[in-house]
Amino acid sequence: MEDFISLEHIVKVYPPSLLAVDNVSVGFRKGEIHSIVGENGAGKSTLMKLLYGLIPFDSGTVKMNGAPVRFHKPGDAIAMGIGMVHQEIELIPQYTVWENVVLGAEPVRGLGGTLDTTGAIELVRRKIDEFQFNLDPSAQVERISVAARQKVEILKLLYRNVSVLILDEPTAVLTPQEIPQLFAELKRLREAGTTILFISHRLDEVLELSDRITVMRKGKKIATVAASDTDKGALAQMMVGRQVIFTSKRTPHRRGDCVFEAKGLCVARRDGLKLLDDVSFSVHAGEIVGIAGVEGNGQFELVNSIMGLRTPSSGSIKVNGREICGLPILERRRLISFVPQDRARMGASLAASILDNAIMTHHRLEPSFSAWRGLVLDYRHARAFTDELVRRFSVQASSRQSLFRSLSGGNQQKLILGREFLLSTPFFLMDQPTRGLDVGSSEYVHGEILSMREADRAVLLISADLEELFLIADRILVMHRGQIVADLTTERTTIQEVGRYMLEGKRTA
Amino acid sequence: MNIVIGLITGMIAGATPILLAALGGTLTFYAGIFNIAMEGMMLMAAFAAVLGSFLFHSWVVGVLFAIAGAMILALIFIFFSVTLDTDEFVTGIALNLFAVGSTTYLLRQIFKVKGVFTSKLIDSIPNIHIPLIEEIPLLGPVVSGRNLIVYLAVIATIFCYYLVFKTRFGLRLRAAGYNPNSLDSSGVRTSQMRIYSLLLCAVFCGLAGAFLSLGYVTLFAENMTAGRGWISLAAIILVDGHPYGIALISLLFGFFDGLGLFLQNYGVSSQFTSMVPYIATLVALYVYARRNRERERSTL
Repeated sequence: MEDFISLEHIVKVYPPSLLAVDNVSVGFRKGEIHSIVGENGAGKSTLMKLLYGLIPFDSGTVKMNGAPVRFHKPGDAIAMGIGMVHQEIELIPQYTVWENVVLGAEPVRGLGGTLDTTGAIELVRRKIDEFQFNLDPSAQVERISVAARQKVEILKLLYRNVSVLILDEPTAVLTPQEIPQLFAELKRLREAGTTILFISHRLDEVLELSDRITVMRKGKKIATVAASDTDKGALAQMMVGRQVIFTSKRTPHRRGDCVFEAKGLCVARRDGLKLLDDVSFSVHAGEIVGIAGVEGNGQFELVNSIMGLRTPSSGSIKVNGREICGLPILERRRLISFVPQDRARMGASLAASILDNAIMTHHRLEPSFSAWRGLVLDYRHARAFTDELVRRFSVQASSRQSLFRSLSGGNQQKLILGREFLLSTPFFLMDQPTRGLDVGSSEYVHGEILSMREADRAVLLISADLEELFLIADRILVMHRGQIVADLTTERTTIQEVGRYMLEGKRTA
Repeated sequence: MNIVIGLITGMIAGATPILLAALGGTLTFYAGIFNIAMEGMMLMAAFAAVLGSFLFHSWVVGVLFAIAGAMILALIFIFFSVTLDTDEFVTGIALNLFAVGSTTYLLRQIFKVKGVFTSKLIDSIPNIHIPLIEEIPLLGPVVSGRNLIVYLAVIATIFCYYLVFKTRFGLRLRAAGYNPNSLDSSGVRTSQMRIYSLLLCAVFCGLAGAFLSLGYVTLFAENMTAGRGWISLAAIILVDGHPYGIALISLLFGFFDGLGLFLQNYGVSSQFTSMVPYIATLVALYVYARRNRERERSTL
């Protein structure tokens, strides 16, 4: 089959010397779903942005139907029928669905550019019906779900009559329940003749959705294979460059004394609804306790109560026998290492340097970081500490002084993890530590969590990824509507059982 | 009875420059520019209005000069904050100070006076008498006989509302403020929308300035805007930029402005009465903040 779009010998260098895309040639056929997989930083997003005209490439050719084309800005690409939906959804929350869709190509009537509101709504409604998108054109975007917003982004491109859709990790922002629906819609688009280029690092999804898959690693194309001819293990090996093990690496480990204990913990909303309802559990030294649950069932409130960001209405939390409710956050940090869900906002400061981020909390808790009786920071010590952290946790950074923002997601997480790991605390709280990370980085994080267990620290791991919990947790607690509805030993349960508790809560007799 | 009519006409006259400046400012507010240069634009316009009217003995030329004067500041603002991407607040402060300094300097250089310049040769903007309505008791003297710019301000309010909420331009303008990335990726350049909004703002501030020096009074005094540009900013923020809300708030300020003048007749010192509009601003801000906090609390 003839290639509809072909990229030939594309090279992109980010000055001074980062070779982001290294002589990549790949062809896309009309009406196929073609996935591009690779670890974070493998160059898959960059390659697509080059095609879309968002960033210029240094050499190579792009051909459409055999004729060379060059897009200098996304508008050029859209005019040729290529549209891209970015990872961050760029809609206007204050606007309705139809306003967002028509923005920039609005139907007008009469003099002075008066908006043809009814006409626009009708046009958008027709597009929605055509692709069975199940959206209300007059709904305000800030009131619709993330999945619906993504559909609006896609609709916006379809309204502009694109025939090639580039989707940059669209599932990263979706809940597990929303993903099959997106896939069904994408497959419908394919039936209608749209070519879909799908960037992802979630191999299960890619295998389920695609016709063909291109694997990238470190800027190079490794291979293009038909989805039916490959499997998860083979793809992972091509992505990472070595074998990846998807089975548990847990070794038996003796459980120590009780380190963390929550008793009768309640958090109520102003209107009386209980967000946490009588939550009691404990975590022992050398034990990893996982918390599973559909998002929004009290995990957020539990984490905030432990860290002191929210005051529970009743109950107690003890670490090493000491009551921490009411303690200031800095005091809690002497006892608790914490990897928050939102690395960019809570886990680090994007605008600060790697050094600043590495020593955060340490500089307040450990006297060795200060000189002149605490008046100034001892930068010599801080530098040595940062170098040690970067080395030990193999953070890929150009220098100590570069901004945290400049690190890739995986390296950001490694730095945060390393910083928290080096705090000498008995208890470790991790909230979705591998969200958004690729296979290789996730594997690394799992290894580090297991080594904390070896070091006899108590770990509480909150994760929406059940496979992750089964991989490393010793016990799995399930949260449902603010309650802990099940306390299961990993060896004696199944994903199906946990999933049932997540959806249905306590089984009613 | 005459007192009431006096208070109302005073209120309208006081509200007009604030309303016009705030309408201009709200266009930039929607476009996502933190524009505080209304004060400077208005002052520059007031001076240019007197200059044009004095030189050509025509209020029409005066108004055109006023718009041109405000436009000069707008172009400087565009050059710095849109083209060079400097901080909008700092740029605005600089322009406001520049307006005070340059108009004072030009007043002394061109008219060779300090403080206030007035002349028989300045042609002021006429008042409009509406034939039939004028006869109606109570309503007549309020609605008819106002300055031309007052009527323009009423039209401008409706125009702004329509422009912002009912046109393609308005949809793009608000998009520039809500999420510039989204607008850019829709194929419309955000910077272009911001430039348009600043130019329109200059037109409105030009009218406001012309009203001050050729309508409200017929003279130019150093720093004669006396903080009205800042009040207009407060009006925009209080009502989140809605043109009709701005009209209401402007009337409120106009009322306190008029009240201040009225109280002077009863022996209250003018220094004290000129504080009234600003005290009203603080009270309004307090009410606004309280209301917002309660709204937040109820949504939690």
